[in-house]
Amino acid sequence: MNTLLEVQGISVSFDGFRAINNLSFVIAEREMRAVIGPNGAGKTTFMDIVTGKTRPDAGTVRWGEVGTSLLSMSEAQIAQAGIGRKFQRPTVFEDQSVWDNLRLSLKKPRGPVAALMDRVTEADRDRIAVIAEEIGLSDALERMAGILSHGQKQWLEIGMLLAQDPKLLLVDEPAAGMTTEERTHTTALLKRLAENHAVVVVEHDMEFVRRLDCRVTVLHEGSVLAEGTLDHVMADQRVIDVYLGR
Amino acid sequence: MSGSIFTRNRSVPIFIAALTLLALVVTILSEGYGTGALSVSFTKVLGMTLCLCLAALAMDLVWGYCGILSLGHFAFFGLGGYMIGMWLMTARTEAVVRANLGSAVIPPTEAEISTATALQIFSVVGAQDWPWMWAASGSLILSLLLVVLVPGALALVFGWLAFRSRVTGVYLSILTQAMTLALSLYLFQNDTGLRGNNGLSGLQNIPGLETVGQARISIWFFWASALALGLAYIAAAWMVSGKFGNIIRGIRDDEQRVRFLGYRVEGYKLFVFTLTGVLCGIAGALYYPQAGIINPDEIAPIASIYLAVWVAIGGRGRLYGAVIGAAVVSLLSTYFTGGRAPNIDFGFYEIDWVDWWPVLLGLGFVLVTLFAPKGLGGLVDYIVRKDRA
Repeated sequence: MNTLLEVQGISVSFDGFRAINNLSFVIAEREMRAVIGPNGAGKTTFMDIVTGKTRPDAGTVRWGEVGTSLLSMSEAQIAQAGIGRKFQRPTVFEDQSVWDNLRLSLKKPRGPVAALMDRVTEADRDRIAVIAEEIGLSDALERMAGILSHGQKQWLEIGMLLAQDPKLLLVDEPAAGMTTEERTHTTALLKRLAENHAVVVVEHDMEFVRRLDCRVTVLHEGSVLAEGTLDHVMADQRVIDVYLGR
Repeated sequence: MSGSIFTRNRSVPIFIAALTLLALVVTILSEGYGTGALSVSFTKVLGMTLCLCLAALAMDLVWGYCGILSLGHFAFFGLGGYMIGMWLMTARTEAVVRANLGSAVIPPTEAEISTATALQIFSVVGAQDWPWMWAASGSLILSLLLVVLVPGALALVFGWLAFRSRVTGVYLSILTQAMTLALSLYLFQNDTGLRGNNGLSGLQNIPGLETVGQARISIWFFWASALALGLAYIAAAWMVSGKFGNIIRGIRDDEQRVRFLGYRVEGYKLFVFTLTGVLCGIAGALYYPQAGIINPDEIAPIASIYLAVWVAIGGRGRLYGAVIGAAVVSLLSTYFTGGRAPNIDFGFYEIDWVDWWPVLLGLGFVLVTLFAPKGLGGLVDYIVRKDRA
């Protein structure tokens, strides 16, 4: 499989604290990857760097077949290039309907004039219907996003990512605060997504990661500690020491 | 999500109907065209109120919808006034000078008229030459263009600098206050070329309409103000009812999320900031010929804060709320500070409403915040919903 994202030797510190330390990470097209690690391991900072929110002090981030550098691009440009991000806390536009949330995420021209002139086409309608079906919110399209349950908000946010039609989805703790039933649904949803997209899931919950059944990268103090199947990394003594053993 | 803006946003047909009704009633009662029950000065107050409503509408777009609490939009309003004021004053003074010199034995040359006009306008600040910024004041068309271009350019440059540095929240509000304060102080200087603290005056005298009389002119300006407000309302409702509206409300609620969806947030903010700056400029250009005078005090920082207070009292993010807030508060302000409200004498203390108006406004603001957190416009929503139920 082709490499989609290649992160090489990135480091970043905040006020002397090294959040990321010489970290390298590669993900291929249509690959699912779980990133685990204790608090402060640099998981969220890693996502911030890939999506352009934080600039690393050193290292390179290359994207796609051509290997374009993401470091000189703005958040909006990176998102347009095909990287979608789901935040840890569900962030949807609570003041707007589910339908509107999905509509403004649809992959269409992003300029102000295009937005002013935008008409909802038949294709848009179909696409929103398909996504709503996928995330189980077909019956809630007219509802305000603010009154959705926690789990539904998480799915809506994943749906908004889907509407963007990204090549890579960065998903931060999708199962946090979910009921067992919601978790099962989320696992199935992420697995389906991985059939067509590369997916990076940051997660604390080992049981959830096991169900995803994918390669696992363990972060610790800003660098990769181990990588491989879940069983492989769980057998690693260093991983047990810093993370699982506690 | 289909059909014209009149069916998509229910407030549009109601608002336009109400505005038309108001224009009809005012015309019928006016001195210029009707019974004369409304004085010329009150007709002007109403016309000016509509201009303030237009500025409040712009403020609602930029603050209520896009979440940018600009405390400097009145600077654009004042600039619009100055731009049209230069033409009004030049043309009017030139006509007077021409009439005075016309009786001379030797007819004056154009250069002499120009020199005499400049002397007439600028002697009050001890100058006699045309400042460079009056270059377009001889042409109505150019002056009207400047009404749009100058506030627009200032908003564009200021917004570009502020938004690209990602200045947000209270820091942006402070910057906009600094902008309007700096502009006001700059205009206060005599050698700026806009007559310092004297400002521009005699703006109610429209060149070429000397014989028409203020009774009719006041109605014409009232109509023009109503038309501008109506058109701006339709345009604003159209803007916020589609995807563009969803995006700017998204920016207001969670700017980062919008950015990660691939939208250039700075571009949208700049677009809304500049557009509303232009709207305020147009409102100012309609306001000051009715007010008759403009001076740098008009764009003091407090003026822009009042603009935000009107929108807050009226209720943000619903367009008609801003209009209601601006109309109610500015009319009440005219009533209490214009010497119309009778003073209350307690014997030991006399309440003079001119002094007590700010207290009343503050009290009103607190009451609205406590009992109608969605503003006067929210009350309207409540009543409408109750009627339907």
